Amino acid sequence: MEVRIVHKTENEVHFLVEGINAAFANALRRTMLTRLPTMVIDEVLILENTSVMYDEVLAHRLGLVPLVTDLTSYNLPDECDCEGKGCSLCQCTLTLEVEAGDEERVVYSRDLNSQNPKIVPAADNIPLVKLAPHQCLIIEAYARLGTGRENAKFQPVATVAYKNVPIVSVDKSKCDMCGACIDVCPKRILWNDGGTLATQNTLDCSLCEICVKSCEVGAITIDYKKDTFLFKVESTGALPPVEIVERAAEILKERIQIALDFANSL
Amino acid sequence: MIIPVRCFTCGKVVADKYEEFNRRVQHGEDPAEVLDDLGLKRYCCRRMLLSHIDIIDSFMAFATVEPTEGS
Repeated sequence: MEVRIVHKTENEVHFLVEGINAAFANALRRTMLTRLPTMVIDEVLILENTSVMYDEVLAHRLGLVPLVTDLTSYNLPDECDCEGKGCSLCQCTLTLEVEAGDEERVVYSRDLNSQNPKIVPAADNIPLVKLAPHQCLIIEAYARLGTGRENAKFQPVATVAYKNVPIVSVDKSKCDMCGACIDVCPKRILWNDGGTLATQNTLDCSLCEICVKSCEVGAITIDYKKDTFLFKVESTGALPPVEIVERAAEILKERIQIALDFANSL
Repeated sequence: MIIPVRCFTCGKVVADKYEEFNRRVQHGEDPAEVLDDLGLKRYCCRRMLLSHIDIIDSFMAFATVEPTEGS
C-alpha cells in the first residue's frame, strides 16, 4: 500500500492510496466519520436568555460549533475514572455572558469563554444569536468527547469521499480532431495541444463519459484503476485533516485486531 | 430565523461565511464567484447561503427584555 498526498491545505487533504480495494477504502472512510472522537458542547445550562431565540434552538446551535480538540488531554466519558459523571479529565466548561447595550448585538462563537485555552471554537465568527438592546444571555456549556456514531455533530470531518483514479486514454490514430469532446467535457480534461488531443488534470475526471459519447470515431476510452483511490478529506476544524487520517488508520487497525483475536479464539 | 451553523447535508460549517457573503453580494458581486471564493464547492453548502432568508430582525421588533414565562 502506498500513500501520496496530492493536495493539502489547512482544512483539507487529498491523497492517493494505491494497492487497496473498495471495501478497505470504505472502512477507512467510515472510521473517519464515525469512530474518531472530537470535542463538542453536549450539555447546556441556560441561566438567562431574554433573546428572541428559544433556549432549545440556542443549545442546538451551540452544539454544532466545532471546537479545536486536544485528544491527548481528555478521556472519552465512558473510559474516564469518573464513570461518565463528568470531571475535569473528560469535560470542559465554556461560558457565554453577553449583554447588549443600547444597540443590537450579534453574539458570535468567539464570545464563548473556555475554561481550557486549548479548547476553543474552530471558527471565530459563527453568529449564534442576535440580541435586541438590553437583552442578555448567561449560559454555561459543557463540552465533552464523543464520536460520530453517537451524533453527527461529533464528526471531525465535513465530508470524506473517495473515488477510483480515472484513466483517460486517446487513440491518436483514430482521432480526427473534431473538437467535440473538448467542448463537452465539464471538467476541461481534454484540450487541443497544437493539433493533437491531450489530457490534463485527469484526477478531476468524474468518469461521466460524455466525451466518449460525443466522439463519433470512438477514439476516447475512459477507464479507472481498480486498486487506486483518491480520498478527499475535509475537516471541520476540530482536528487537522492529516491527523484525522492518521488516527482513523490507527483506530481501524485496532478494530481489525480485535476482530482477528476474536476469530482466533473460536 | 438565523443562518444555520452547518450545511444540512454534509455538515460543513457555513454560518461563519454568511456575513461576508451577504456584504459582498450587496456590493454587487456575482454570488457564484463569492461562493467559490469562500470555498463552498458543493451545491449542498451553496444552497445554504443562497436560499437563506434572515428573519431574526423581524422577530426582534417584538423583543422584550423581561424573561418570558417558563424560563
